[in-house]
Amino acid sequence: VKPLSQQNLYEVLDVPFDASTAVIAEAVDRAQALYAPGSLATYTLMDPEEEHLLVRLLEEARATLLDPAARARYDEQITGPDSAPPPAQAPSPALDAAIRAAWPELPPVFPSAPQPADADEDEEEDDEWEDVPVGASASAAAAPEPVRPPAPVIPAMRVEAPVAPPPAQPPAAPPAAASAAAAPTGPRAPILLSREVASPLATERPTSTPVPITTPAPAAVAPVPPVEGTTWSGEVLRQIREARGISPQQISERTKVTRHHIENIEADRFELLPAAVYLRGILLSIARELRLDGQKVARSYLERVALASSPTAPLPRPK
Amino acid sequence: MSRMADGPILKLVHPAPEPGLRPATPAPGAAPARQRRLISIGGGKGGIGKSLLSANLGIELARRGKRVVLVDADLGGANLHTTLGVEVPRRTLSDFIERKVHRIEDVITPTGIPNLSLVSGALDHLDAANPRHAQKMRFLRHVQQLDADFAILDLGAGTHTNVLDFFLVSDHGVLVLVPEPTAVENAYRFVKAAFWRRMRNVAQVYGYEPLLRSVMDGASFRSPVELVETVSRRDPDAGANLARQLAGFRPRLVVNQARTSQDAEIGRAVVAAWRKYFGLEMDYLGYIPYDDEMWRTLRARRPFLIEKPDVPAAKAFATVVDGLLALDIAARSGATS
Repeated sequence: VKPLSQQNLYEVLDVPFDASTAVIAEAVDRAQALYAPGSLATYTLMDPEEEHLLVRLLEEARATLLDPAARARYDEQITGPDSAPPPAQAPSPALDAAIRAAWPELPPVFPSAPQPADADEDEEEDDEWEDVPVGASASAAAAPEPVRPPAPVIPAMRVEAPVAPPPAQPPAAPPAAASAAAAPTGPRAPILLSREVASPLATERPTSTPVPITTPAPAAVAPVPPVEGTTWSGEVLRQIREARGISPQQISERTKVTRHHIENIEADRFELLPAAVYLRGILLSIARELRLDGQKVARSYLERVALASSPTAPLPRPK
Repeated sequence: MSRMADGPILKLVHPAPEPGLRPATPAPGAAPARQRRLISIGGGKGGIGKSLLSANLGIELARRGKRVVLVDADLGGANLHTTLGVEVPRRTLSDFIERKVHRIEDVITPTGIPNLSLVSGALDHLDAANPRHAQKMRFLRHVQQLDADFAILDLGAGTHTNVLDFFLVSDHGVLVLVPEPTAVENAYRFVKAAFWRRMRNVAQVYGYEPLLRSVMDGASFRSPVELVETVSRRDPDAGANLARQLAGFRPRLVVNQARTSQDAEIGRAVVAAWRKYFGLEMDYLGYIPYDDEMWRTLRARRPFLIEKPDVPAAKAFATVVDGLLALDIAARSGATS
């Protein structure tokens, strides 16, 4: 097990590098419930320092990975040269191959590895989420109404891209990463790394200058970015609601908003929604139930509503 | 009775199959018709329902046509017979341990439930509660040779080496957890103690003790994987073997007395936390909802599953048994493929 202090946020959450926002939201919730101080399941299992570190990392994960803009920055950071796994820790590849071969029934010993065959309880949900990427393809398939082009949510780019075999020595890849990617039987960390290298972000990196990024980690947790980062479409709200395991009926009961409104919001049936001033209140309460930032959700959603109907009558933009 | 041929050496360490060397074993057709499985029920803390769980798992297996022997291995506090509504048996383990009888079969008592019989641990002599090592080995050897499909060992509380060894030799070491801090604490203590004892046993069997001692003197290890890695750096073969042996340490988890939906989830949470923090696996078999009926039937000294087969708690036992049988099937197909 990699020491917690050396795990990146994806490893802390046990989610793949290309996990959708919904999967991450769910993982953060699950982990926060699981490892909260005073949690029963970890009582006496961990020592206090580690417990605090984990709590902090989970906060960081929520702030960073759930915000597409911050996540993009973070991804760039960890795929950058600085993030090559600590080589001091890594024993020789041959040795690691031996260890790996020796723990065949025990994949999660290497929690940083993507878990294809993990018999985890969330397998079905995860599969489902992988089939329903946030953004473009999902909303196009589910809601064929032509009001707007599918929202170009950033995660979609990541999800749709096939997980190709590691490109032969990505030109921009730092030597450490390249060598690790070339040794698939390497230590725990390089498994993730090879995936990172294979990820579209990494393959696109040649377009951006591969200057070593020296941003210190805390920068990633920095204040929430401007709203342009996230497009809160009905589809995204639906996915997050489902990830939380809440039915439209339950939301409706808790928010005292009729189910029709909730379903119309999720389906982006703008023409059926109430006036913006009411809609805003509804969005705020839905966001509260989903533990999202209500202001951001409402603003983003209302902007899209306004945009869709702008040719005829621009709606008042609530601030 | 092919196991008889194994001779008097009881293996505290299951030989883990060496990948690649497997096909060298005898022809598959000659495999023994009966695969006796040993299940032990432990959990560290007292009063968490180990005996009730043992009894009712036994009943559920018996109802599915399996021949089951329940063995009350809680030598100092035997009460399994009570959960089954059986009088204190005339012949008990103490007769066997004191060699008044030669075979463990001679102290088997029928329970009145088809396919289910009992080896009671109720002891006449206080001394027998702490059997010497040789006695313990003889006991385990006989248990492993019982003519049955399943032997279920109801373990005592605590982390005494006897308890840990019973847990470790089993095909299924079942860890019982009640969603209370005290039970969680004791469960972790129990499972960690069992793990390190297994590590010690492996080291003993393979002569790694000096190696381990020198490695562990150098640093403190938080997780087994860290330790294995360090050993591997010194001695790759030993490290690989150690890793293979320790991977076989895979307790099954059952949550008992679940009262809320969060309680029902705690089993998964424990598995996840154990994996995250310790790097090892557990198999979660499910939870038994809290049910006053369980307490009522115990007060009436009647077996719960016989009296109230239709309440949710009773059905939960079926789920747990399903899980155990599925693991058996997986293990068997894994061994033959």
